[in-house]
Amino acid sequence: MKLFEYQTKEILKNAGVRIPQSVLTECADDVGDAVVAVGLPCVLKCQVLSGGRGKAGLVKLVQTVDEAAALAKRYFAEVPSLHAVLVEQAADIESELYLAVTIDAPSGKALLMGCAEGGVEIETIAANTPEKIVKEWIDLDKGLQPFEISDFAFRLGLRGDLLKKVSRICGALYRAFRSMDAELVEINPLFLTKAGEAVAGDGKLSIDDNSMFRHTAYEKGRSYYQSDMEYEAAQEGIPYIEFDGDISLMCAGAGLANTVYDLVNYEGGTVANYLEFGGPNYMKAGTAMRLCLANEPKVVLIVTFGTIARADVMAEGIAKAVRELKPGCPIVACLRGTGEERVDEILAPVGLKRLSDTEEAVRKAVAIADGRAQA
Amino acid sequence: MSILIDQNTRVLVQGITGKEGSFWTQHMVEMGTRVVAGVTPNKQGQVCCGAPVYHSVRNAVREHAVDAAMVFVPPKFVMDAVMESLDSGIRLIVTLADGIPLHEQAKVRAAALSCGATVVGGNTSGIIAPGKAMMGSIPYWIERVYKPGRIGIMTRSGSLTNEVTAMVVAAGFGVSTLIGVGGDPVPAARFAEFLPAFEADGETDAVVIIGELGGTMEEEVAEAVKTRRFTKPLVAFLSGRTAPAGTRMGHAGAIITGGKGSVADKTRVLESAGALVARRPREVGTLLNTALAERK
Repeated sequence: MKLFEYQTKEILKNAGVRIPQSVLTECADDVGDAVVAVGLPCVLKCQVLSGGRGKAGLVKLVQTVDEAAALAKRYFAEVPSLHAVLVEQAADIESELYLAVTIDAPSGKALLMGCAEGGVEIETIAANTPEKIVKEWIDLDKGLQPFEISDFAFRLGLRGDLLKKVSRICGALYRAFRSMDAELVEINPLFLTKAGEAVAGDGKLSIDDNSMFRHTAYEKGRSYYQSDMEYEAAQEGIPYIEFDGDISLMCAGAGLANTVYDLVNYEGGTVANYLEFGGPNYMKAGTAMRLCLANEPKVVLIVTFGTIARADVMAEGIAKAVRELKPGCPIVACLRGTGEERVDEILAPVGLKRLSDTEEAVRKAVAIADGRAQA
Repeated sequence: MSILIDQNTRVLVQGITGKEGSFWTQHMVEMGTRVVAGVTPNKQGQVCCGAPVYHSVRNAVREHAVDAAMVFVPPKFVMDAVMESLDSGIRLIVTLADGIPLHEQAKVRAAALSCGATVVGGNTSGIIAPGKAMMGSIPYWIERVYKPGRIGIMTRSGSLTNEVTAMVVAAGFGVSTLIGVGGDPVPAARFAEFLPAFEADGETDAVVIIGELGGTMEEEVAEAVKTRRFTKPLVAFLSGRTAPAGTRMGHAGAIITGGKGSVADKTRVLESAGALVARRPREVGTLLNTALAERK
C-alpha cells in the first residue's frame, strides 16, 4: 500500500526526521488559513499517489495568499483522485540528497541507498551513472549498525556536522522501514539548507501488502485508486486494472493473465481491463463478470488453466452470471484444468462454447472486437 | 534421476493435519511420495495420511530420518516453520503459502543462504518429479501437463506452468523435475541455483524457465549460460512483454521500475548468452525441438 506524502512525513517525523512545517487541507476554503499558518512563500502539494507530480504541475511554489487560493481552487476542482492538498513551508535549499531503504531480493537483506544528487529522477542516475549511488546492505536480524551508517555517510561525501545529521536520518529511515514493513521508504529530496539543517522535502513509503494485518490503522479509501472500478474491485479482493481498449480480460492466475495481455497486444487487439480471479477468488466469477461488463467492452475474454481454481466451479459461476447479467457483448471462454470435462455441459445451456487453446481464444476475441467475427 | 526429490526422499509434513495439509499430503502419498512423519503442535500421537504426527520437528526427527520438509502453514507462520526445520538440520524445504510478509520472505532467504539450505517458495505450488514424488499442491493427474520425461522446468507462476508445460508435452516431451520458485518478490531459492543440478542430471536434456517481468532471476540464468556453468539447451518463456511500466499486474514480484526488469531487457541478455526465448507459449515446444535436434 502506497502512502501519501503527508502520511510518510508523519511517520518520518515520529522516527526523528526533520520535516518542513505544514498543514494538510481537505478543501479550498481551508488553504488561506493554512498559508498564513506556515508563512509565505510556501508550496502547495497535491496529495495524489501517481508519480511525477512536479512535472504534472501538482506541486507549486506560491508567493501570495491570493495566488495560493486560486491554485487550491483549481486543484480541488480538477485533479482526479485528489486526497488533500499539503501546504508546506518553502525551504532555503543549499543542496539535495537522495536516501532510500528497500529489500534486496538476491541477498535477503535490506539495502540502504543514497546519492549526492537528489531531487531529480533517481532512476535516470541509476541507469546512466550507477556508480553515483552509494549502497549499504543490512542484515535484517542484526539491524543497521552505527559503523555502517557512518561509513555510508562518508561515502556519500558528507563531513562534519552534516555527516552526523544525515547519519541520524539514515538510522531513522531504517527504523521506519522496519517498523512499517515497508517495501520502500524514500526521502527525495533531502534538503540540506543554507542554515546547515537536513530536512525531508518529499517522502515515499509503501507498506508491503502481505503485512497490512500489522498496520490496520491505514485504510485504503477511494483516493488510493485511479478509478471507481479499481476501487470497487479492490473491495472484492480482485486485482483489476482499467485501460481504454476493447477487450475485457477475465483470467485466473497472474502469470496467465499477463500472458493473455501480451497475446492480445501481439494480435493487434486492445485491452479494456486486466482482471485476475484465480486463487482464492475463483468462486467469484459472477463478481468478476460484473466488473468486466461495467467497463462496456466489445468482448469479454475468459482464460483459465487452474488446479485448485476448478474449471467446473468457474464455469458454473460464469453460466450463472450470464443468466443474471445478460451481457450485451460476446464472451469467449477458454477454460482448462481440474474439472474441465464438465465445462461443456455447464456452458452450453447459456450459449457459450468452450475453447481449449489460449491463442485461438485470443485470436477470436480480437476478431470479434475488430468486427471481423461473431461469437 | 530427477533433481531434489524422488520416490526415496523421506518427507516430513509441517501442518499435516490442516485442511490443505491433509488434502495435499494424501495426494502426495497417492502419487508415491514417501511421507515419513507429520508435525502439528499439540497433535502428537495422531496418525494422518498414514504418517505419525508429532508436536514439533525436533520430536519428529528424533524418531525418523528426514530428507525434506513440506510446509503447509498459513503465511504468517511460514518463517517460524522454516526456521524450525532448519534448526533440526533439514536442508530441503518447500513452502507454498501466498502472502508471506515481505521482511519475513527476506529473513527466510537470508537464513537459507547462511546454512546452505534449499528453501523453495513461497507463493508456489511446489516441486514435482512426475511419476516419482511431489511436494506441494500440483495436479499430477493432468496427464497433458505432468507427463514424465527429460525436460527440467522452473517457474515463477502457477497458472502459466500448466499453460506452458502443456505445450512442452504437446511437442512430444515430458518433465524430469518441475520446480516452482514462486511469484513472491523475494523467492527463497532462485532459478540459477538449480542449474548445476540440472546440468549434472543424466535424465534432463534441456531446461525451460517460465519467468516474467521484474526482478533479476532471468538475468542470473543468462549469466550461468553465458559463462558455460550451464551448457544444456535453455528455453525461456517470459510473460509481461507488453505490460505498462510501473504498473503492478499480478505477482508482487512482477513490476518494472526505472526501466529495469523489463521482458525486453531479459530477452536481450538471455539471447545474447545463447539461450532461446519464446514469444508465445506454443513456441517453447518448437524451440526445444530445434535446440535438441542441433545437439544430436
